[in-house]
Amino acid sequence: MENNLMIKTEGLIKVFRTDEVETTALNNVDLEVKNGEFLAIMGPSGCGKSTLLNILGLLDNPTGGKYSFAGHEVSGYSERQRARLRKENIGFVFQNFNLIDELTVFENIELPLIYLGLPSSKRKEHVEQVMEKMQIAHRKKHFPLQLSGGQQQRVAVARAVVANPKLILADEPTGNLDSAHGEEVMNLIEKLNQAGTTVIIVTHSQRDAEYAGRIVQLFDGQIVTENIKKSIL
Amino acid sequence: MFKNYLISAFRNFVRNKFYTILNILGLSIGMATFIFILFYVNDESGYDKHHVNHPRIYRIDSEYSISNKVDRFAIAPIPMGPAMKLEFPEVEKFVRFANAGNVLIKHDNKEYYEERFYFTDSTIFDVFTHEFVLGSHENALVEPKTMILTEKIANKYFGNENPVGEILTTGQGTSYKIIGVVKDLPANSHLKFDALISGTTIAEEQGVEDFNSMEPMRFWNIGVITYVMLNENSSIESIHEKFEAFYDKYYKPIGEQINASYSLLTTPLAETHFRSDLAADEPIGNKAYIFIFSAVGVLVLLLAAINYMNMATARSANRSREVGIRKVSGAYRQQLIWQFIGESVMLSIIAALIALFLVYLLMPDFNNITEKTIAYGSNPAIFIIIAAVALLTGLLSGIYPAFYLSSVSPVTALRGSGDTSAKSKGRMRKILVIVQFFIAIFMIIATIAVSNQLNYLKNKNLGFSKKDVIVMQLQDSAFRSKGEIFKKELLNNPNIVGVTRSTQVPGNISWIQVMNVEKDSQMVQSSLILAQVDYDFLDVLDMEIAKGRNFDINMSTDDTGAVIINETGARSLGWYDDPVGKRIDYNIDLEGNVGRPMKVIGMVKDFHFRSLHNAVEPMILFIAQFNPYHVSVRIKEDKTREALDYIEQTWNDFGAKRPFDYYFLENNLNDMYEAEEKIEKIFSIVTFLTIFIALLGLLGLSSFIAEQKKKEIGIRKVVGASVADILLLLYTEFLVLIMIAFIIAVPVAWWRIDIWLKDSFVYYQNPGWYTFLLAGAMALVVGILTISYHILRAATSNPVDAIKYE
Repeated sequence: MENNLMIKTEGLIKVFRTDEVETTALNNVDLEVKNGEFLAIMGPSGCGKSTLLNILGLLDNPTGGKYSFAGHEVSGYSERQRARLRKENIGFVFQNFNLIDELTVFENIELPLIYLGLPSSKRKEHVEQVMEKMQIAHRKKHFPLQLSGGQQQRVAVARAVVANPKLILADEPTGNLDSAHGEEVMNLIEKLNQAGTTVIIVTHSQRDAEYAGRIVQLFDGQIVTENIKKSIL
Repeated sequence: MFKNYLISAFRNFVRNKFYTILNILGLSIGMATFIFILFYVNDESGYDKHHVNHPRIYRIDSEYSISNKVDRFAIAPIPMGPAMKLEFPEVEKFVRFANAGNVLIKHDNKEYYEERFYFTDSTIFDVFTHEFVLGSHENALVEPKTMILTEKIANKYFGNENPVGEILTTGQGTSYKIIGVVKDLPANSHLKFDALISGTTIAEEQGVEDFNSMEPMRFWNIGVITYVMLNENSSIESIHEKFEAFYDKYYKPIGEQINASYSLLTTPLAETHFRSDLAADEPIGNKAYIFIFSAVGVLVLLLAAINYMNMATARSANRSREVGIRKVSGAYRQQLIWQFIGESVMLSIIAALIALFLVYLLMPDFNNITEKTIAYGSNPAIFIIIAAVALLTGLLSGIYPAFYLSSVSPVTALRGSGDTSAKSKGRMRKILVIVQFFIAIFMIIATIAVSNQLNYLKNKNLGFSKKDVIVMQLQDSAFRSKGEIFKKELLNNPNIVGVTRSTQVPGNISWIQVMNVEKDSQMVQSSLILAQVDYDFLDVLDMEIAKGRNFDINMSTDDTGAVIINETGARSLGWYDDPVGKRIDYNIDLEGNVGRPMKVIGMVKDFHFRSLHNAVEPMILFIAQFNPYHVSVRIKEDKTREALDYIEQTWNDFGAKRPFDYYFLENNLNDMYEAEEKIEKIFSIVTFLTIFIALLGLLGLSSFIAEQKKKEIGIRKVVGASVADILLLLYTEFLVLIMIAFIIAVPVAWWRIDIWLKDSFVYYQNPGWYTFLLAGAMALVVGILTISYHILRAATSNPVDAIKYE
């Protein structure tokens, strides 16, 4: 059972301190995510969703508690150690796409492969494949600012999956998209999940959350309800 | 990976054209300045290193101490070279050079005065490296009356014809046979000759035995430029160690009689250009200036690097998102650091290429200003240094932004703000702007101070009037013997106010001799500087008598028995209060017989008879008993042309063998400050560039801050701020920095300039307070003008746009 766990947190705490104020963003969060699961995290603004996602994605360290990722206890990891785990295991999708404006579609998608040290020919092969899958191959020489929002998010998803990560983290992936484009992106993510990739999304949208097998409600930094929608195979 | 960085860097450059152009412009100007200074310093410090044997070659200099007055010369007695070769096995060869004077040279119908013809020993080509174009060094200059020309001189007299075997004749009728032509000397040769004449010519004229005599007396006559070349494994120290025995043999017999001693000084060939304590030397360089220029070169480069750092960190907000994405995509921090450093190195290489092109274009102007003849490709090693400097500059300017940018955590970076440490970053930027303006203000002050000192030197009251005085040299003895009639003839012209004849003229009075002088009622030996003059010398040059009287032609005793001493001289002998009547005996022979006893008749107010680098020393004037060499003519103001026409006419009427030649005393005196003039020119240019680069930085920064504060300005305006309020807010931010830079620059500049003045001049003027104020005001005004464009635009923009924009 333990071997089937991708993520396990116990009593996860995150506190932000500024000169005068101390804000507890996460308060004793216990969460388990199995391999291949599709999890949606929901909750009102400021409830700690993105903070949780950042910690789960190894972009940030918790203030307290335990976090085990794929069997590694990572809560005390250095940025360099986290960076290694991250690039080998995790793909990110953001609400505002976060593409590098100076790089073309192809080059943006290629980026994670460069940092994995793949040779150029291999990179080209992978990028071409994923562009086909995301239906953006015809835009490969365009720059992000020459694309529509939906297209940009497809590029972002392509970049997130090009290195075949075990986990995809998506923070409000449809937040900047109209409903048609949003659905298109969610379908893509669902397909990835069906192919075996673990997915965690943070969302406000009930419609997006419907794609997930399990929904976790966060309120004031704590998990308040869990709702299993589909059984996991 | 590299390709990806390259692409990203290049597209970033293109997207931010404004900043890229500012950066490249600043960096290329900074590097071009640096490269020029590198050329200059390389040339200055490379003097005489083209001689293959230079590490083994030493110039023999002399220190004579006579009655406790010490004088050092860059020359040695004529038999010194041969005697050293004879006594010291360390000495492999010696070469001597004696200037042939200002000699008239004729060929066909061409006649020129030549000042750089030297008699020399035939060993010259064994010791020094000179390349023959025609002829060969085998047996060269062994025969008397043979000559080797440089290409320049060969061309001057013979054009494209082969001069070997041809004859050149002097004004006196001596003929020299040309036996070879050597390449022109590199400009950075300390001793520059145009032609060489066999030294055996002098030996033949003088009698070989006489010429080669090693009689002790000959060692007390100052002589010729002398070089020795040591054996491969010998050291100059061992000669110094053994010199006492040499001294006892050659110097002591006479030295004991005249209460004098001699010390051997030696200067390594490559150092001769910088040795500054010797008389009778060629113009020398100044190591301090090499240091100052090197420092300035580095500063200018630093300024340009700071521009890059400032603009790169200022725009970091725009790049932090990229950093976040790259980190999320798996980049290690180290990789990002290299990426950003790579970018700055790339920019710096582009700038270096532009700089090299600029240098190529401006090389002629550079040579013009520095009076050098440096060829662009003259030293390939320089290009390796330039490549290294380009890399280093890129590294230096990129390292801070790289560490700064890559430090942002991906979470904050992606949140878009990226300004985790906005406060500290702002502080760093401010410090960098202060550093830039500190350098700029320092350079402005230094330039004004140099120009101020130069003005002071040229306008200082010298104790005589240098204006409207024409000086001629009567070189041929027949003409000279008619000097007194020539003078009378000149005085017939109404445009000529006065004429005087003297051995030397102010600016270059250096004749020094031991005399017996009265001190505490006893006669003691003392060496004094002297000039032998005629009765009108003090009047014509407007010198003032402080005590006693001037020479008087009606006093029969004045002709041989009267002497006038200067204030410093009287003071040093303890006579200041009562100089008149004191005794000075001139022309004392070895037995102590007095040739010419004289009494002081007057004390002249101190006048500067050498450049203001030197202090006034004790000196005396008395009436010449021969026909002196110099004729100085004071002419009426604004009648120069007419007076010169008359003088030339008279000159020719007297049957002078040489063409009419003269100089203005004032020009001659001003020429003594050529080195300072050069410094002033170079400083002015570098200062201008320094300010320009600093302003480029300010322009970029003001544009950025105006952009960054758009929202703040908008909000302030919405809640009621006027345009004036906003302007005040924005200007204050910059002007405070310039003020701080000014406050730091003033004492530092004061301190450094004071050192320079004290080290270089005996007479100087510290810059006044207005110099500093002027420098500060200049920095402030150009600073305000530079930032105004962006600040005015930001302040007057429509507030709604600013808010909506955000």
